[in-house]
Amino acid sequence: MSAVAATLERVRFAYPGQPEAALDGVDWDLAAGTLTLLAGPSGSGKSTLLRCLNGLVPHFTGGRFGGRVRVAGRDTRETPPRALAAEVGFVFQDPEAQFVTTRVDDEIAFGMEQLGVAPATMRRRVDETLERLGIGALRCREVSTLSGGERQKVAIAAALAPQPRILALDEPTSQLDPWSAEEVLAAVAALHRDRGLTVVLAEHRLSRVLVLADRMRLLGSGGRAVGDGPPAAVLTLLERDALPPLAALGRALGWAPLPLSMDDARDRVAADRRAGRIPVEPECDSPSAGGAPAIEVAGLVAGYGRAPVLRGVDFAARPGELVALMGRNGSGKTTLLRTLLGFQAAERGRVTVMGREVGRARPADLAERVGYVPQNPSSILFAETLREELAFTLRFHPRGHRAEETLAGLGLAWAAARHPRDLSGGERERAALAAILVGNPSVLLLDEPTRGMDAASKLAMVETLRRRCREGVTVVLATHDVELAAAATRVVMLEEGRIVADGGPRRVLPATPAYATPINALYGGRFLTPEDVLTGLDGRVAEAAVLAGSGGRP
Amino acid sequence: MSARPMDPRGEGVAAPPIDSRRDGVGAQPIDSRGEGMGARPIDPRAWLLWAVAATVPPLVGRNPFVLLATTLAVLGVWAAWRNAAAEGWGRLLRLGALFALVGVLFNTLTAHVGDRPFARLPDAWPLVGGPLTVNALAYGLLSGLAVFGLLLVGTTLGATLDWATLLRLLPDRLHAVAVTGAVAWALVPQTLRAFAEVREAQAARGHRLRSPRDAGPLLVPLLAGSLERSQTLAEALEARGFGAPLPPEATLGRGRRWRGPATAAGLTLATVGAYGLAMGSLAIALGGLGLGAAVLWAAGRARGGGPRRTRYREPAWDRRAWLVAGSAGAVLAVELAVLALQPAAFAYDPYPSILLPAVSPPLLAAVGLLLVPAALR
Repeated sequence: MSAVAATLERVRFAYPGQPEAALDGVDWDLAAGTLTLLAGPSGSGKSTLLRCLNGLVPHFTGGRFGGRVRVAGRDTRETPPRALAAEVGFVFQDPEAQFVTTRVDDEIAFGMEQLGVAPATMRRRVDETLERLGIGALRCREVSTLSGGERQKVAIAAALAPQPRILALDEPTSQLDPWSAEEVLAAVAALHRDRGLTVVLAEHRLSRVLVLADRMRLLGSGGRAVGDGPPAAVLTLLERDALPPLAALGRALGWAPLPLSMDDARDRVAADRRAGRIPVEPECDSPSAGGAPAIEVAGLVAGYGRAPVLRGVDFAARPGELVALMGRNGSGKTTLLRTLLGFQAAERGRVTVMGREVGRARPADLAERVGYVPQNPSSILFAETLREELAFTLRFHPRGHRAEETLAGLGLAWAAARHPRDLSGGERERAALAAILVGNPSVLLLDEPTRGMDAASKLAMVETLRRRCREGVTVVLATHDVELAAAATRVVMLEEGRIVADGGPRRVLPATPAYATPINALYGGRFLTPEDVLTGLDGRVAEAAVLAGSGGRP
Repeated sequence: MSARPMDPRGEGVAAPPIDSRRDGVGAQPIDSRGEGMGARPIDPRAWLLWAVAATVPPLVGRNPFVLLATTLAVLGVWAAWRNAAAEGWGRLLRLGALFALVGVLFNTLTAHVGDRPFARLPDAWPLVGGPLTVNALAYGLLSGLAVFGLLLVGTTLGATLDWATLLRLLPDRLHAVAVTGAVAWALVPQTLRAFAEVREAQAARGHRLRSPRDAGPLLVPLLAGSLERSQTLAEALEARGFGAPLPPEATLGRGRRWRGPATAAGLTLATVGAYGLAMGSLAIALGGLGLGAAVLWAAGRARGGGPRRTRYREPAWDRRAWLVAGSAGAVLAVELAVLALQPAAFAYDPYPSILLPAVSPPLLAAVGLLLVPAALR
């Protein structure tokens, strides 16, 4: 029997003022030396469970706690989190929120200074940790100058430097572009593999993590395990909408076990091909919608300070188009959205939205026709209930939609009377979207709308956006989410402030390996989604129709 | 398989901490020109001395020449040292400039004193009714300049101060308070950035700030977001061992009992001294600051008991620190001498008549030395 790094016995926990238990009778033996993936829908208790491992629940959170958690032989009820810091390293979703100092090596040393580690040992461990994570070149950098991926690696290094037995990571890649996410996960996997570190990782984006995990624990309501075991086995318990694309395809094609990695899937595809099951490639992207552009950008140069972020952007979007802006962090996606709203002045060039030149239009006039959901949805949520939040928007948009219909369309009808800040991250994102959509904008701008969303929430959001596009709304969204981009009618790729690719997703996504969907990486050509493959296989059309909702094309 | 971790304190205890001028064993040297590296920091004690010297003129008087010279010097240092992290502080500066302008307007409209009226509002108007004078406008402008100058010193410190080193310099007893202060300080620019985000997001929704009742959609997300950020940071501090009980070998044995009260007394005396300086009372300022510094030094020298945090880097007092501290010390010495011998050199009062302000060449020359850090970037 393998050693146990942490044990939870009949753990029950409710946050202060909450009648429902976030954890309701959870039993769990966390095997030492494993990399365990915690999966489950929003609100299933993944973050709460992670926080039990270092005693943040209940010491920091308060609330009602029952049962027992033992880590390294210590009962967390009697040991505060700060006393467990040497045993459990914790990495939060937003690395910026956890930095205390301004320089990388100071940040890595901070935890060890608190624990009274001898200076010589501290120096050695800082060196080792920087080296192990491949960030030696960042040692003297100011953390404010790092990219998102670099920041997350520094946060992991800071958690690792005191040499904990367990490393707990709460959605560490949710804010990263695909390159950075790959780098961070590769670093975590290497730590686990080389040092036998026990890693517990909560994630919504399963595709990249499944192949790294030894075990997967699928949470249902109250944090109880619906399944716990090898990922390939637990994956079979997931709802179809929640499956990552390769597994969704595998299930539809009857592959057993379900593929976790590209290599697994390639073997199955090769077998299918030998058996003559070769899908017909989908048609090219349908031509762009016609009509006068709702957005026109010509020769746009804009930025902060001396260095422009956008360096000569020409771009137009027509009614009915769903445009995905993609590119690495810092490529200019958010800046482009902000110039469309008039929040970022254009140094050169011309920006027109709904026939109004942005630099000259009054903000109130623009707001009548343009809706904007910022990267942080909490920036706009202020009312006591979600219903009041939508009513506030309707004060400025008398020709808006009905609040109940808007909420129902986003799967939030149940939350109408809830306080928006009591909702989970993904629910808040949809709440903010509802607060804007209810105003019936002609142009909708969204900045990273699927951050922290589970698969079901994402599906509901995509369906809503497609419906609005069919009604003639122009949607432009900045995203790193390739499955969301595959659902767009057009993808615009930005690199260092310039558009380097613009066209249908079947043309643009396969051309950039980091943004190719897993299905495209598997089948190549114009395949992007599982239903592309299923539609291309004889006799599978009906199955494709069922799947069409899950990240497929409009 | 389980990796057996080492004792978190590690095995080495006697090795000295590294010097901040070096970069650890086998690491690349710090490159002040490298992308994102920022400038190599100057010892925070030198910066604090510079800040004290720079805050004396706006605190003790309204002489326009002295105020202008000080503000220009500090502006030069701010411009030279501002970095990527200073963006939020820049917002604070703009906000400060706005408040200063509001102050000018308020003084002009409400202080109906002086021999140079330039307009008149109906006497029936409450508060603002009466003559508007150039004297009131001048005093408002000088007060605005003083407020802006103080804010500029604060924002320059915000952008340049190496907080990690400063924290390591403080006695262990003040560690928790100091970390809390550093975190609160860091939240200022973050909150200003968050306010800009909220304002933009609500404006795009159609919201306009027309009356105090419209402030809710701006303030509620800002306050709630600030609380959430603070909570996450507090959670992270807790998870990273902040305030953790130290193993017995990390303590330095029994300390002298007077050390704690002496530290508190030293800080109190220093605060009284700073208040005296602000009030223009040289005796209180010198007495309070001098005695406070002496008591704090004595308390710091005494070997204390209780937990002892270890230091990753020892602060480095290098040539640049000498230059900044030396020039700031010279400025402070001249300022104190002028305060004692010729206090009118700092003062100016445009009421009831506008006269030419006093000019003190030694003081103006000394204030120019505040620019020294700008040359050391």
